Amino acid sequence: MSILDSGKPAAAASPRSFAVAHLRPRNSFTGCSRITDYEVLGKLGEGTFGEVHRARSKKTGALVALKKIIMHNEKDGFPITALREIKLLKLLSHVNVLRLEEMAVEHPTRSSKFTSHGTAVATTDKRKKPIMYMVTPYMDHDLSGLLDNPSVHFTEPQIKCYMLQLLEGLKYLHENHILHRDMKAANLLIDNKGILQIADFGLARHYEGEVPKPGKGGGEGRRDYTSLVVTRWYRPPELLMHLKRYTTAIDMWGVGCVFGEMLVGKPILAGESDGHQLEIIFELCGTPTDENMPGWRSLPGAEALQPRPRQGNLSQRFREYGSGAVSLLRELLRLDWRSRVNAIDALKHPYFQTTPLPAKPHELPSFEESHELDRRKFHDRRAALPPAPKGGTVGRGPHDGPNASFSSDGFGSRNGVNSGRYPRGSRGPEERVPAWHRDRGLPPRPPPPSDPDHPDGYRDRGGGRPRGGGGGRQDVDTYIPSYDRDAPRRDDRRRRDDRDDRRHDWDRRRDYDDRARTSRTRSRSRSPVVRDRERDRERDRDRDRDRDPYRR
Amino acid sequence: MAHMANPLATPDQLFQRRSYGSLPIELQDTIFFATQCLTQAAGLLLQLPQSVTAQANVLLARYWLVESMMSHEFSDTSAAILYLTAKLSPHPRSPRDICNVYSYLVTRPTTALFHSPTAPPPPPHDPASPSPPYYRSESAYQAFHTRLLTLEARALHALAFDTHVALPHALAVTYLQALDFLGRGAKDGPNGLGARAVAYLNTALLSPQMLYLTSQPNALAVAAVYNAARDVGAKMPECEWWEVFDVEREELGFLVVGMRSVEGWGAVMREDLRGMGVERGMVTRGDVEAELGRRGLVVGGNGSNGVDPEEEMARRMDEKMAEMEADV
Repeated sequence: MSILDSGKPAAAASPRSFAVAHLRPRNSFTGCSRITDYEVLGKLGEGTFGEVHRARSKKTGALVALKKIIMHNEKDGFPITALREIKLLKLLSHVNVLRLEEMAVEHPTRSSKFTSHGTAVATTDKRKKPIMYMVTPYMDHDLSGLLDNPSVHFTEPQIKCYMLQLLEGLKYLHENHILHRDMKAANLLIDNKGILQIADFGLARHYEGEVPKPGKGGGEGRRDYTSLVVTRWYRPPELLMHLKRYTTAIDMWGVGCVFGEMLVGKPILAGESDGHQLEIIFELCGTPTDENMPGWRSLPGAEALQPRPRQGNLSQRFREYGSGAVSLLRELLRLDWRSRVNAIDALKHPYFQTTPLPAKPHELPSFEESHELDRRKFHDRRAALPPAPKGGTVGRGPHDGPNASFSSDGFGSRNGVNSGRYPRGSRGPEERVPAWHRDRGLPPRPPPPSDPDHPDGYRDRGGGRPRGGGGGRQDVDTYIPSYDRDAPRRDDRRRRDDRDDRRHDWDRRRDYDDRARTSRTRSRSRSPVVRDRERDRERDRDRDRDRDPYRR
Repeated sequence: MAHMANPLATPDQLFQRRSYGSLPIELQDTIFFATQCLTQAAGLLLQLPQSVTAQANVLLARYWLVESMMSHEFSDTSAAILYLTAKLSPHPRSPRDICNVYSYLVTRPTTALFHSPTAPPPPPHDPASPSPPYYRSESAYQAFHTRLLTLEARALHALAFDTHVALPHALAVTYLQALDFLGRGAKDGPNGLGARAVAYLNTALLSPQMLYLTSQPNALAVAAVYNAARDVGAKMPECEWWEVFDVEREELGFLVVGMRSVEGWGAVMREDLRGMGVERGMVTRGDVEAELGRRGLVVGGNGSNGVDPEEEMARRMDEKMAEMEADV
């Protein structure tokens, strides 16, 4: 049968009536809104990811966060990382994934105006490029900052509630073929309604393998990706051993780390270098064998490993949180990425079905919001800071500034090393050592895609730009504070964090820390007081260096 | 699921486009067709997969839906959109590659890609004559580069950064499989069902009716399958099989006619280009302005001379439709 010559010809509907009958919502092709559509209420933070402002939409009255997009490589036009992040976010819609409301543009006072023929006007007006902002709903906290707040203590129903939401969000992402690749507490935003959302898709990418199936763990990888992803403390063992054909299981490891962090109150695997990270993973989960991590020996990064056989102390370390928590944690922190639990199965874990049952988001307490700029009153304290270690402020350009700033503090600092949304290039002391000369100690966050000539692997480039980071740090920096216990943290999301409270309540905090530390087997013999001070100083220094480049 | 859907044009936007830029509709169509062909040609020379070039075609159509065609040189717009699309794809191309390819394409005296495949091939280049200026000086490259990035930003802004394009090609193959047309013994080659369906989809990219902006990929795929099956005389199910793929009869009818008409349109477009005296491969803004001058129209004025552009456009669409109906 044919629709062309049938009794009811298609011509009965003219294109016009067809068009009218198929009216689309007007939100397609509407272009960007203007920054003047928002009433900017003040800066929430600034750091490696650029400035974030809080604002109120004049149209809807809703509070939003405006994230400025850093234009770092003008040669290639609009940054590819930002483009990809925007593209992904626009495709996603889930209550536990941060929503990108729209893009807003700020035209400089004398905006480059285009005449009907004139691109010339725009070319002469280089300094006045429009500034782009990503508009997302305003979230009061990030998980990392919340955990740092000594006045906040998570209850078990609360932890279960956040975990369920995190797993739901991740299940959605994985179902939609998206690898997040930067799962960490600082990237989980929480509002005062108890809703948790996964944010920061700067490292996310399309996943080409099979999506996770119930009972099948992460499955097998289908193709290679760069292993230079995920912040070190949340990086799974297979990535530390440079598995390239990885799966959605890498995000699940991060969930395990976040889970542990919520239980304990601080990161559970705060490695000081990639080697040390593996070391403490083995300490927690046991050393890899052919049973618990089949094929590990053939991973490129495993060749030099001769770990002393250990059983892993996970159950002792987390005993106080109950057998359900230990069991879920064990599933999430499996060395074998093929059998590591996936989000679908983790949601069905008995932990969530035993009392105390998970809270409902609206039952959770709300916390006082706080963010970075309140800390300004501590400026005077910074005057007495020790000088930054060598190379600390060596930057190669405006966008390298923030990166250069944090490398030399060693490791562990959450500040910049791990956190910038838009990746960075060089940093500090190792600046001139090409990446391929170092086989370990890559920075927790990979470098940005710099040239468009690399097919796909926008993060797969092995070199071409110096990549600083962990490698050889110990050689460079003779002063290595041991803040594995509680590094200067949360600066990566400091717009949402709560540093002031921490500071005011420092003594309280220490109790909290001490309590937490007892659950750790690995501890150093320095006195807590000294370490606190060091940590304090370190953090201030980091923050200084972190921020200053943006003041230029 | 958002991955498989596209943002579509509103009827308002479709009407307005026709009244924007003061260009007569047939000139708009000519420019659209020529520029889409240019994009395809550039995609070939840049060795981009068709999946990337086709996305660029769709983005270009979206861009011109909201921005005046005459605000930038057509080839620059094409280049910027292709650059942007390639950058987002697994096959990025450098601005210099883009520059070289576009320089070549716009200066080549006759490019087969713009002209009827039945036309005689261009005479081979005489080695004795001075070689045509395919290369660009460094300053010309820098100027191109600046224009490229300016236009990229402009396009992103116009599109609200929505760069996702869902293409119907893979769906068409899936539908053919579902209809059991690709089993053993299926005829392949250029006249095979699958090849024809894909050809319809690629041709539809050039259609000034902007089918990719009015229909979702599943509808396009079904229409292509329908047309291909009709061409090769394949036996389709007796029932209203398109409903299985979530396409309404009315939309399918519109698309089927739209897709079949592109070839005829193309011939008219090529004639128009020749009529405008476009010597080189690609029409430029200068050509268009000259043509407007010949017609006594002023750039920037209201070209439709007081006729309500919406009325005019609707009338023309209905006329065209009637023509097509007569043809089929």
